[in-house]
Amino acid sequence: MQDLLYFSQQLINGLTIGSTYALIAIGYTMVYGIIGMINFAHGEIYMIGAYTALIAITGLASLGIAWLPLILIVALLCAMLVSSSMGWAVERVAYRPVRGRHRLIPLISAIGMSIFLQNYVHLAQGSRNIGFPALIDGGFNFGSGDGFQMSLSYMQITIFITTLICMTALSLFISRSRTGRACRAVSQDLGMASLLGIDTNRIISATFVIGAALAAVAGLLLGMYYGSVDPLFGFIAGLKAFTAAVLGGIGSIPGAMLGGLILGVAESMTSGYLSGEYKDVISFSLLILILLFKPTGLLGKPEVEKI
Amino acid sequence: MRTSVKKLVTAVSTSVALMGAGHAAAEIQIGIAGPMTGPVAQYGDMQFSGARMAIEQINANGGVMGEELVAVEYDDVCDPKQAVTVANSLVNDGVRFVIGHLCSSSTQPASDIYEDEGILMVTPASTSPEITERGYELVFRTIGLDSMQGPVAANYIAAQNPERVAIVHDKQQYGEGIATAVRDTLKDAGVEIAMFEGITAGDKDFSSLVTKLKQADVDYVYYGGYHPELGLILRQADSAGLDARFMGPEGVGNKDINTIAGEAAEGLLVTLPPAFDQKAENQALVKAFEDKGEDPSGPFVLTSYTAVQLVAEGIEAADSTDPFDVAAALREGTFQTPIGTVEYDKAGDMKSFEFVVYEWHSDGSKTPVN
Repeated sequence: MQDLLYFSQQLINGLTIGSTYALIAIGYTMVYGIIGMINFAHGEIYMIGAYTALIAITGLASLGIAWLPLILIVALLCAMLVSSSMGWAVERVAYRPVRGRHRLIPLISAIGMSIFLQNYVHLAQGSRNIGFPALIDGGFNFGSGDGFQMSLSYMQITIFITTLICMTALSLFISRSRTGRACRAVSQDLGMASLLGIDTNRIISATFVIGAALAAVAGLLLGMYYGSVDPLFGFIAGLKAFTAAVLGGIGSIPGAMLGGLILGVAESMTSGYLSGEYKDVISFSLLILILLFKPTGLLGKPEVEKI
Repeated sequence: MRTSVKKLVTAVSTSVALMGAGHAAAEIQIGIAGPMTGPVAQYGDMQFSGARMAIEQINANGGVMGEELVAVEYDDVCDPKQAVTVANSLVNDGVRFVIGHLCSSSTQPASDIYEDEGILMVTPASTSPEITERGYELVFRTIGLDSMQGPVAANYIAAQNPERVAIVHDKQQYGEGIATAVRDTLKDAGVEIAMFEGITAGDKDFSSLVTKLKQADVDYVYYGGYHPELGLILRQADSAGLDARFMGPEGVGNKDINTIAGEAAEGLLVTLPPAFDQKAENQALVKAFEDKGEDPSGPFVLTSYTAVQLVAEGIEAADSTDPFDVAAALREGTFQTPIGTVEYDKAGDMKSFEFVVYEWHSDGSKTPVN
C-alpha cells in the first residue's frame, strides 16, 4: 500500500510537469509542422509569459483586488497577450525576412532572438530569482496518518484541467475551424496552399501566435507551481519541451502531448526510484533510443530532410 | 550607482592603459572581483560594500605608505569561466592585490592565474578547503573552511538525536564539499543517513525529491548549496506537507530566500560566521556603514572589509608592494581586525574561525540558537 501510494505520488508529479512540457512543446511542433524549422526563441517566450503574469498579479494585488479567479484570468490574459505579440514579432523579425533562404539562416536569427530576449529580461527585471505568490494553496491527502501520505494539490489539479482544456480547444480549432483547416493545408504543402488562395503569411503568423499563447499558459502555471521565476527560466524548460516534441514526433500535435507526458513521468520516476542526478541522463537516453529505433518519433510521419 | 562604478572602472582601466601597467604613481590598485550580477549577486553586494568602505577609510587616514588605494571592480557572475576572464583582465590591468572571488568554484580557477602571475588574493567568502590545499603562496582567506562549517552543522543535528537525516547538495564544489563534510561527521556520530543525493543547480521542479524525502521519513534535511534551489525546495516541501527541519550553510542565509520560500523559510537552520556587526568594538564601523545607507549585517561585509585591511597592513608591515613580501608579512604577523585577531597558517587559512548556528525567520531576520 505504501509503495503504491509512493508510486502514485511520483506519477502525479510526473504528469503535472509532463503536461506543462506538452503545452510548451506544442509551440515547437506547430511551427515545425508548418515551416519545417525550430523556433529557438520559444523558451524565452514562455519565460516572458511567466514574468508578465507575475507583473499582472503584483499589479492587481497592489490595487487591492483579492478575488482569486479575477486575478488568475487577468494574469492569464495579460501573459497570453504579451507572449502572443512576442511570438508574432519573432516571426516578423527573425523568420519572415529570411524565409526561403538557406535553412541555417532563420535558425541562427532565432537563436539571436532568444539571446536578445533573455538579456532584455535580465536588464529589465534583474537577474535574481523573483518569488511567485502561491495563489492556489492546499490539496487532498491520501493515506494513513503515520505512514506515507500522498498529496494531490489544488495547484496540480488546476494544471491538469487547464492543460486538458487548452489541448481540447487546440484540437478542435485545428480540426474544425477555417484557420485550422488552412493550417493543415499549409503544413502539407505551403506552395500549393498559397496557389489555392490561402494567405500563407497570415497562417504562419497564426502558428507562432497560438504556440506563444499556450507557452504563456504554461508560464503562469509553472511560475505558480514552482514558486519563482528568473531570466533563465525558459532555457531549460524550452530544452525539455523541445525534447518532448522530438520524442513524440516533431510536427505532430498529439505527439507533442504524448512526448511531454512521457518525459515528465520518466523524469519523476528516475528521481523517485534512482536518484535526481540521473534525471536528465535517463530522459535524454530515452530520446536517443527512440530516435535510433523510430527516427520520426513516436507519432511522427516520415519526412524528408528538414532541420 | 552601478553606472558610476562602471565609469570608475573604465576610467581607472583606461588611465592604467595609458600610463602603462604598474606605473600608476602614488596609488595602489586593489581589485575587487565578485558577482555584481547573476543569481548570487546579493552576496557580491556585501563583498563590494565591505571592501569599498575599507578603502575609503584607509584613504581618509592617509592611505598606505603615503599612497592612495584605488578600487578596481570586476564582475565574475559567480561563473568559473567568467572568473578566469576576470583574472586575466586583472593581470592585464596591472592589479597586484585582489579581494575575491566569492564563489569557491570561481575562486579556484582564478587563483591559479593569480599565483602564476604573482598577484596576492584574499577571498572573503570562499569556504572550499581545496582552495588552500594546493600549497599556493599568494592565496589567503578571511573566512573559515567547509571542513570547519560542516562539523558545526553536523554536531548540531547530531545533538538533536534525529532518527534519520537526508543530505542533498547541488553537485557544485561548494555545495557537495560541505554536504560531504556534514555526512562524514554525522556518520562518525552514529546518525543514520537515509539519503545522500545531488540535484541540478538551476532546476525548478523538486516535487520528486520532496516525495522521496517524505517516503524516507527523515527528521532533518541538510542542503549543501545556495538559496535559489533551497528556497524552492522549502516551498515545495511545505506545500507537499513534508515534516522535517531543514538546515543549510551560509550560502543559503540571505533575504532572497524569503522572497522565494515565503513562510516556508521560517525555522530554517543556517550556519553563518558570527554576527561581527553585533560586537561592541565594531559599533563605530557599523555606524559608518549605516551612515552610507548600507547594511553591515551580511555575512561577507566585514570579512571583505578585513581582507582590504589585511592587504593594507601587510603592505605596511612588509614596507613593500611586492605581493610575495606582503604574503610573507601576512604569515608572520598578528592583526587586529573587525572579525577578531587574525593569524595565518602556512596554507593561508586563519588559525581559528568560528561558525554559529542561526535560526532563520520568514521576515528575513535570524536568531542564534546555541
